[in-house]
Amino acid sequence: MRQIWTIALREVTRLRQRFSGGVSPLAILILLVGLGVLAFALRDTSALGNGLYRVGVSGDAAEIRDSRFSVMRVDAATGAALLEQRALDVLVDGGQVIAREDDKSRYALGALKRYLERQQIVELGATQEITRAFPLRVQVNYIDAANVTLPEPFIPSLQAPPTPFRDVIVAFLYIMPLTFISIFFTSSFMDEKINRRLTLLLSAPITPFQIIMGKMLPYLVFATLATIVFALLTRAPVWLALAIFVPTSLFIFAIYLMVPLFYRTFQDTTFIAMFVTTVTAVYLVFPAMFTDLSELAFMSPLTLAVKMYRGEAFSWQQYLFPSVPMTLIFGLAIFISSRLLHEEFLMTYYGLTRKMADALYWIIDRKRPELSIFVMSLGVVPMVYLAQLIVLAIATNLPLRLMLGGALFTSAAVEELVKTMGIGVLISRGEVRSSPRVLLLAFLSALGFLVGEKLLTFVSIAIVSQTVLSAALFNTGLLIVPLAAHTFFCGIVVVLYARFRAPYLLALAVGIVLHTIYNALIVGGAF
Amino acid sequence: MKSFFALVKRELASVARERTILIAILIQLFIASFSSALLLGLLSLYDPDSVDVTARVNLRVGVVGATGEPLVPFLEARGFRVVPFGNLDDARSGYQSNQIDAVIVAPKVANEIVTLQLFVPRAEARASLIQLVLQEPLKRYENVLRAERGLVTRYTDLKGAPPTTFEFLYSVILPILMFFPAFVAGNLVADSLSEEFELNTLETLLAAPISWRTIVGAKISAAVLLATLQCALWLGLLRLNRTALENVPLLLVMGALLAGMISVAAALVAIVFKNREQAQFVYALVLMGAMGVSFLLGVSPLTTIARLAIGDAYTGVGNVLVFAGVLGVMGVGLGVALTRRARE
Repeated sequence: MRQIWTIALREVTRLRQRFSGGVSPLAILILLVGLGVLAFALRDTSALGNGLYRVGVSGDAAEIRDSRFSVMRVDAATGAALLEQRALDVLVDGGQVIAREDDKSRYALGALKRYLERQQIVELGATQEITRAFPLRVQVNYIDAANVTLPEPFIPSLQAPPTPFRDVIVAFLYIMPLTFISIFFTSSFMDEKINRRLTLLLSAPITPFQIIMGKMLPYLVFATLATIVFALLTRAPVWLALAIFVPTSLFIFAIYLMVPLFYRTFQDTTFIAMFVTTVTAVYLVFPAMFTDLSELAFMSPLTLAVKMYRGEAFSWQQYLFPSVPMTLIFGLAIFISSRLLHEEFLMTYYGLTRKMADALYWIIDRKRPELSIFVMSLGVVPMVYLAQLIVLAIATNLPLRLMLGGALFTSAAVEELVKTMGIGVLISRGEVRSSPRVLLLAFLSALGFLVGEKLLTFVSIAIVSQTVLSAALFNTGLLIVPLAAHTFFCGIVVVLYARFRAPYLLALAVGIVLHTIYNALIVGGAF
Repeated sequence: MKSFFALVKRELASVARERTILIAILIQLFIASFSSALLLGLLSLYDPDSVDVTARVNLRVGVVGATGEPLVPFLEARGFRVVPFGNLDDARSGYQSNQIDAVIVAPKVANEIVTLQLFVPRAEARASLIQLVLQEPLKRYENVLRAERGLVTRYTDLKGAPPTTFEFLYSVILPILMFFPAFVAGNLVADSLSEEFELNTLETLLAAPISWRTIVGAKISAAVLLATLQCALWLGLLRLNRTALENVPLLLVMGALLAGMISVAAALVAIVFKNREQAQFVYALVLMGAMGVSFLLGVSPLTTIARLAIGDAYTGVGNVLVFAGVLGVMGVGLGVALTRRARE
């Protein structure tokens, strides 16, 4: 603990030096707040579609105030001529609206229709008595359930579509400072890697784990503070916001911790970081858009935040569903990086695939390959699990045959890759040779993977078991059949690779194809 | 001039070697396909106009009570199959024997406020779909009731096509696809410059008889060239996807100008803030700030791009020249900064 503290203090000093004379942290903070406010101000104006449609107005027409429409005052005859010349998209002549037959004009008319309808309602509400302006109420009842609390009756024309856009954007604003802070963390790591201070540190009597934790600690504190500040600014319950966003920030840090380990050049990191940022942003935002529509939305912690801002409750299970895998991934990242944080790995410059294989080689304990392979397959489960969830979410939202096939294939590919890559590295480095031993490893890998999946789906079974695909993706069914099948696929890949000297990718492809067929059979109900 | 081209080639070669540009293209593809997937998903869940009842789902609704009669043609026009029932119990058994999906019960006497009872299954997805599709007929019925109470509403019978996908394509997807190459270009310039500063390779370059301006100019040109090629690629793909695009040459020029402006800004930042952390950070902030401000002022290059692509009659070469002017001014600024830097 002392060592971690020392490293943390050193990190703070370094940070202060890096920014002294340049930009003061206060200025950065002000800028960040300013940008946040800007983003907030822009959130529901249709700023991007500014002036997309040209509308001509003549006579006693309704006023049009929406940035999408560029409005021109014309007399009826000129308006008609301009419409004909395609210089206008729509002409509003008093109570009449005239459009052309082509696409652009029809879309403009559709947009105008929505706008005008809404304006009429607003006007009615402002000028008329409510009972007169809104003479219709609809009470929803449940046809197949008695004695349940019914929602309030609604007024059709005042019913807003239930999009959670606004809440999702507010929730996403939490993520922005987290990402910024973790980018700083990454840069610091990178910088020390280049100027070889890391090498110096490594030769000191401290463990890689202590170095990582120490360097990360200040940034984790900043991240937590940012969350607290933001929660206070938006008047959210602080402890709840922390409960939701601490696992999220751990997850983001885990990802950014991996970036400098695999980097080769500056441009490399920028792009990898960019890639990682987009993927995580998508992973967090996409499911939250479906809040209340699908239980799968809970795979993103932002959904919890949306619930929080709406003042709605969520269950423990719904809380653990995103939080447990995220925290586990953090643990995994810490483990991996403390195995990789030594000079030999850091200072070699290979292609990315070679670097990955190298990483695996260092992670595996070569004295006990059986145990390592088992633990590794068990350990990667949270990562695979998140990947599968993304596949599942995309597949269930796009009910197309193609997507179904794609989902089954992708999940098979991910599973086969993670189960065989460790064994593949051991084979290629000549650590294991004999077929029985390779098969034993395949069995252990499959076993570790299944055990991990069972443990994790235990938390979330109720949530994901609703969809047809989950049987194939999460092996929620029997135990013996999947174990046998998974051992079989894994075994085929490694035996092809070890015995028949097939290129790894080819062997893997065979395994993936077989696994996909098996997945399809499960979804089809064969098992 | 010869050394300039040699440097451009050197930059391009380094990008090609690192294959990072592939990651960048991958990200863009990912964002584009992802946002369309998101849009499709959201539309089918939240946008009543986009749910095509007759083609995809066959919804049947039972109607109980005579006062509900004016509603029936609206329901049918929206694609519902309407089955009349004498009372609620009949309708319930109709639901149990799978004749209908939902029931609407109209009150016996019409009061000042008409309250319809809507019976839907508890299973959420089906129920929300029914309610979504019911929105439009209910609104039209509400207008009828308003008319009965002497309230006239205008613009109630407009047709048109649901504009969401159209707007999204021209005001989100296309600007993102044109902006991202420029963003990548800026990143390339900033990274490449700060890498040379930090690894001190610039001294070596400067030892050769090449000026500061040539070096930075070459880096920017290489990045802009790459960005323009990517823009061309995206425009081509959009065309293949049968998206109507007007003013394609001007769009390409806009892509190049945007990349130019962002790269020059990135170069300025990299020169002022010599260390990479600061440079990257300030670059990101400057970019976000500039975007926000240009939107607020209504002079965003992205808006111009959207209008050009959509074939707006009042947007053309003149608008593009404005941005060329801005780039020119920024270029002069960079030149001055470089001269100062060289004197240090």
